[in-house]
Amino acid sequence: MKKIASTLLVLGLVSGILGACGTNGNNENSNSPSDSSANPTNESGTSSNENSAPAKKDVTLSYLASQDWIKDSEMKLAEKFEEQTGVHIDYQIVPSDQYSNVLKAKMAAGEAPDIFGGQSGKFDLGPLYDVENNAVDLTNEEWVKREDPLYIEQATWNSKVYALTIWDPSSSWIMVYNKKIFADLGLNVPHSYAEFLAACEKIKASGVTPIYEPVSDGWHHVLWFPELGVRYQEQDPGLADKLIKNQEKFEDAAVLEQSLTQFNELTQKGYFGENALSNTYVDTEKNMAAGKYAMTLYTIGLPAQIESAVPGSHASDYGFFPIPLNDNQDLNVNPAAPSKFISSTSKHIEEAKQYFAFLAQPENMQYYLDNEPKFTALNFPGVKAKFNADQQEFFDTYGKKTGTVYQTAINYFNPQWTDIGKDMSAMMVKQLTPKDVLKNIDKRREQQAKTAKDANWK
Amino acid sequence: MTKRMYPFYFIAIALVFYLVFAVIPSLMGIFLSFTDWNSYSRVTHFIGFDNFATIFSSDENYLHGIKNTIVFTISTIILKTVIGLFLAELVNKKIKFKNLHRVLIFMPAIIPMLVVGIIFKSIFNPEYGLINEALRTIGLGQWTQQWLTDVQWAFKSIIAVDVWKGTGYIMVILLAGLQSISHSYYEAAEIDGATAMMKFRFITLPLLLPALTVTTVLNLLYGLKIFDTVYVLTNGGPGYTTDVVYTQVFSQFSLGSYGVGTALITVLFVIMTILGYVAIRLMSREEYNG
Repeated sequence: MKKIASTLLVLGLVSGILGACGTNGNNENSNSPSDSSANPTNESGTSSNENSAPAKKDVTLSYLASQDWIKDSEMKLAEKFEEQTGVHIDYQIVPSDQYSNVLKAKMAAGEAPDIFGGQSGKFDLGPLYDVENNAVDLTNEEWVKREDPLYIEQATWNSKVYALTIWDPSSSWIMVYNKKIFADLGLNVPHSYAEFLAACEKIKASGVTPIYEPVSDGWHHVLWFPELGVRYQEQDPGLADKLIKNQEKFEDAAVLEQSLTQFNELTQKGYFGENALSNTYVDTEKNMAAGKYAMTLYTIGLPAQIESAVPGSHASDYGFFPIPLNDNQDLNVNPAAPSKFISSTSKHIEEAKQYFAFLAQPENMQYYLDNEPKFTALNFPGVKAKFNADQQEFFDTYGKKTGTVYQTAINYFNPQWTDIGKDMSAMMVKQLTPKDVLKNIDKRREQQAKTAKDANWK
Repeated sequence: MTKRMYPFYFIAIALVFYLVFAVIPSLMGIFLSFTDWNSYSRVTHFIGFDNFATIFSSDENYLHGIKNTIVFTISTIILKTVIGLFLAELVNKKIKFKNLHRVLIFMPAIIPMLVVGIIFKSIFNPEYGLINEALRTIGLGQWTQQWLTDVQWAFKSIIAVDVWKGTGYIMVILLAGLQSISHSYYEAAEIDGATAMMKFRFITLPLLLPALTVTTVLNLLYGLKIFDTVYVLTNGGPGYTTDVVYTQVFSQFSLGSYGVGTALITVLFVIMTILGYVAIRLMSREEYNG
């Protein structure tokens, strides 16, 4: 009996293994002809002639991106793209705090996806993604001429364009506040750091946590520091240039220490609440709508997101003002944004280019914008923006003076974003001082500059 | 000298695989730890002991990671062995649903660490997590903690999760050891009037020593290469509080400093080799004595 049972078991296992081999083999066979059928034939679905669509084929493009970079409306467009061309987009979404690690590990292992997401930035494309070796040159694509030149500048390395950026140009990080809480406590929009502190104190005394700060994601709390680039420029003109040329250190720049010290003060006074270190970014809407927090650092689209995420809440209950550290009253702008690159090692470069061209078609971009609650405008002219009264008022009040944020204006900064995040968390738990954080930034900048053989660092 | 049964070339294929996939990569790793291998340049240069000087310099945080790794290893060895032995004794007794208990205790060992991490992140959540909610419900609100984000608690929480997950496995090994001890020793001791404590001290422990050695070596090697538990629960945070060697290696690799990363692994390799050698010597001495 035992013998029969074990014989059956072995037979089962062997047939299972053989079966698996068989399907594998079949897959390879069925894939290879479609891989080699590179002959494109025109298809009615696409409008552009330069990007003539191949006949429907069984191709899957893998697309690695960080959480929050891929919007639902893009996935809908990808479905439409698959209907038209048969090219399937396989989205691989990685938690945001680990994205750069995963991408670098995959590239180092030679397992790069067909398309990968990355933050653009004129200093970062080389050191961060080594685009000359890892990405495909897209300079001659049709959409390059239509995209906002400020954004193209950030996607360019050694005068070649490497990425497609479709992002909201109005998505600066600003303070979003709950008008009702402010009105109940008789508070006005603060116009200086001192007024901001006073408002926080009053809010905290009323039992509401002043600021929702999701530190656990590892990146959000860093924003408070470099986003103030416009203010640093105003306080200390020329600082950015000196930092780029290594004529000044972060450690010695008083304005930088000032903003970090003020951020730390907010922490130590408990204005971020007890749970800041375990708060998560994805819970922002829920927590803001619940009225447990009075303010958060977010983009101008947050009220609309709250309204669509939490039933019974209204977008009109929220207002905006700029980050108040260092008495800032100006608008920070970041023309570097999550972008899409094509891997140079991809077997399907043409299909990936075709996908980019498809996304950049005006009617598809309008669809993309109309179906994305976080966005109010796009960085392509001709796409109709959707500002409401509050947003219009904000841009009218603060939009006069704008400046570029530090992660884009300063070299060797953006690649160490999550490391700065760790340093700033360490500062929040009193293991580091603001000065230590700045010293660590200098140390990592030096390390990167030296390995990049930068002439300004010797 | 026994006569060779098979000619040497029978192992040739296996040996080639071993050389190509185990020996050569290891030696390459050790070599690369003496170079400035990084993600920014395509050529690497030999730089001697510079990477090791970086690791052991007081400006850097690496010694903190090494210290955490050692603290983790020692505390998990002790906790897992003590709790595992206690549980093994319990489920070795005549209790109801003995097998069910054994399965339940062993269960965490087969759950992937990533899943455990996600579950415990929610259990440890200070606002609505199971532990703090339970404490508040029974009126112990003052005992609630920021389990994973408080500097005092984060590393202890990580150790607790790892002990929860690993104890069942150790228990099974010790249980097998316990069951191999002949019952007649205990009967004889009972006739001589030995107490339960004396039986444990003079019969169970000495006869369980081989099993204990195995579990200690397993725990030792597991503890020194700890990564996943820390990575999924805190990723070294808050700040750098819970960094261990492999989370530091990981972040060095993501910064593109492959050289320093491999040098850290080499340091750990040396520590592991020494401890492993000592452990194997201890084990083989047991065999001779037995």
